[in-house]
Amino acid sequence: MKNLLQGTTKADKVLISVLIVVSLSGIFFMQEVMPKRRTVLIEVDGRPLYVLPLGRDRIVEVEGSRGKTIIELKQEMARVKDSPCPTKQCVKQGWTGHGVIVCLPNKVVITVGNDNDDVHTVADAITR
Amino acid sequence: MDTVITISVASHSKGHAEQAIDSAFSEIKRLEALFDFYSPDSEVSRINRHAGLSRVTVSPDMLTVLERASFVSKETGGAFDITTGALLVLYDFYHGIKPQQRAIEKHLPLVNYKAVHIDKKDTSVFLEKTGMLIDLGGIVKGYAADRAVETLKRAGIRSGLVAVAGDIKAFGLKPNEKPWKVGIKDPRAEGNDDTIATLDLKDMAISTSGDYERHFILEGERYHHLLSPATGYPAQTCQSVSIIAEEGALADAFATGIFILGPETGIKVIEKMGFGGLIIDKEGTIHVTSNIREKIEIEKPLTRDNKS
Amino acid sequence: MQLRDNYRIALLSAYAIVLHGFESLLPTPIPWLRLGLANIITLIALCLYGIRVAMIVTLIRVTLSSLFTGTFLGPGFMLSLGGGVTSTLAMGYVLHLVPRLFSPVGLSVIGALFHNMAQLLLAYVIIIQRWGALVLISPFVILLGVVTGTVNGLIANLIMQNLKKDGEKAQNTGNIIRE
Repeated sequence: MKNLLQGTTKADKVLISVLIVVSLSGIFFMQEVMPKRRTVLIEVDGRPLYVLPLGRDRIVEVEGSRGKTIIELKQEMARVKDSPCPTKQCVKQGWTGHGVIVCLPNKVVITVGNDNDDVHTVADAITR
Repeated sequence: MDTVITISVASHSKGHAEQAIDSAFSEIKRLEALFDFYSPDSEVSRINRHAGLSRVTVSPDMLTVLERASFVSKETGGAFDITTGALLVLYDFYHGIKPQQRAIEKHLPLVNYKAVHIDKKDTSVFLEKTGMLIDLGGIVKGYAADRAVETLKRAGIRSGLVAVAGDIKAFGLKPNEKPWKVGIKDPRAEGNDDTIATLDLKDMAISTSGDYERHFILEGERYHHLLSPATGYPAQTCQSVSIIAEEGALADAFATGIFILGPETGIKVIEKMGFGGLIIDKEGTIHVTSNIREKIEIEKPLTRDNKS
Repeated sequence: MQLRDNYRIALLSAYAIVLHGFESLLPTPIPWLRLGLANIITLIALCLYGIRVAMIVTLIRVTLSSLFTGTFLGPGFMLSLGGGVTSTLAMGYVLHLVPRLFSPVGLSVIGALFHNMAQLLLAYVIIIQRWGALVLISPFVILLGVVTGTVNGLIANLIMQNLKKDGEKAQNTGNIIRE
């Protein structure tokens, strides 16, 4: 074990400690500041398509540039069940309760969190 | 009514939703047939043909619309008046032709909402003078939205939005548990989708009358279709008026009437009726009734960025 | 010497590609936990042979890996490239600026950080364009960078110490040797 840590400098330790403190406090801060309702935002090609609450389990299909991405919502989490991309990284990512799942080739972005009220949802209709 | 109609519905079953939407569209089509000013087969045209001649038996829908119209005429002191049809025909918005002063003066006596006699007992309508023409364009889209929503509700739909051109009625909450969001068109923006304000619409209707719909510009003056019953010329008081009310027919008719009345008097009438209103006056200043001031989100027209 | 450099580059690139390929086969129970094992190679290359070698190894690794997985020139490739180049540059620059301040462990953390930040930025530009989501996950990303950077750095450090013991011309505090 001593061997493993040999050669590490003080600067290393300072850097690591500072970063850990910064990130942990950031996470803590976020949880406190935003206990809003949990929603999932699904965007395709940059356009918001769905904003769904996480309360109800459901399966959503969206059409991307390569085909259908199937998204599953269960309890407080979401995952990509299947997607038409070569490496299927998005599927491998599994269930997420917080954060973003992206299928790059199909241009699908799924954001799970509290934050989705920020999204500038386009009006459903325009009165003129 | 060569208008674009959009119906959005939230439902657990796609088949169910489609059925309901079909019924709603049929209902709107049926109403179109009754109220189309430009179609000789419509009930409205039949009434107009018999002006000064005889009573015409009409459908319950027609009776309802005429009664609502009369109500709004009274409340707006005659600013909303369906008999302005006689003036409307003098204008050609497609070719940009406006009538001579003489023609307007000749037709002005035909404009009088009180000369529309409704008889509820024998469900008939009579226009007093020959040459009178009623045009229901200022109320019928809102009415159609009301009826369409009723059709959807009867079909078991619990959340939806019906837009008959720019007259919108929304009920229930969307799947994300938020109300339907409606934007108010910026009267001076190029695109149809450029909004100047947005608000949530829950179990309410919204209607907008604007000077940009049917219009042409002649010698620097804007001639639009919202004609003042008093002068025969387009009212030059506002750019647009949006009314939020429970009933689409009232929202539609009042939007037209308030436009003619102008911002100062208009706001008072809206508040008296307990409706919500947003008026953009001739200079572009936005007036909002106090009851919706908190609920409306006014965007700065200059720096709008959709992808934030 | 050119020849010796080329030999080293080829060898290191091969290691890097294998490590990358191996890592992508591992199941990821935790999302976003990309160990970035190939960066160990980059770091060793940097410490032993200099920034030029390290950069070439990175470029070869990113390009060939993406060719093998069929994602060449795709968005994933762009992210890998951006991340890899940025992190190598950052580490090289820090090493050049303050040679003894950080050990390979510290350098690796810096590299990981820059790698992730570059990827976030590129993801924003290329697809996501919702910086709200990015801000949301940035503390996690920093934490992840610190953890993986430390782990990779320690492994690289260990390897380099063993190499030194084997008598190669290597330093264990990150001095650059140029030939």
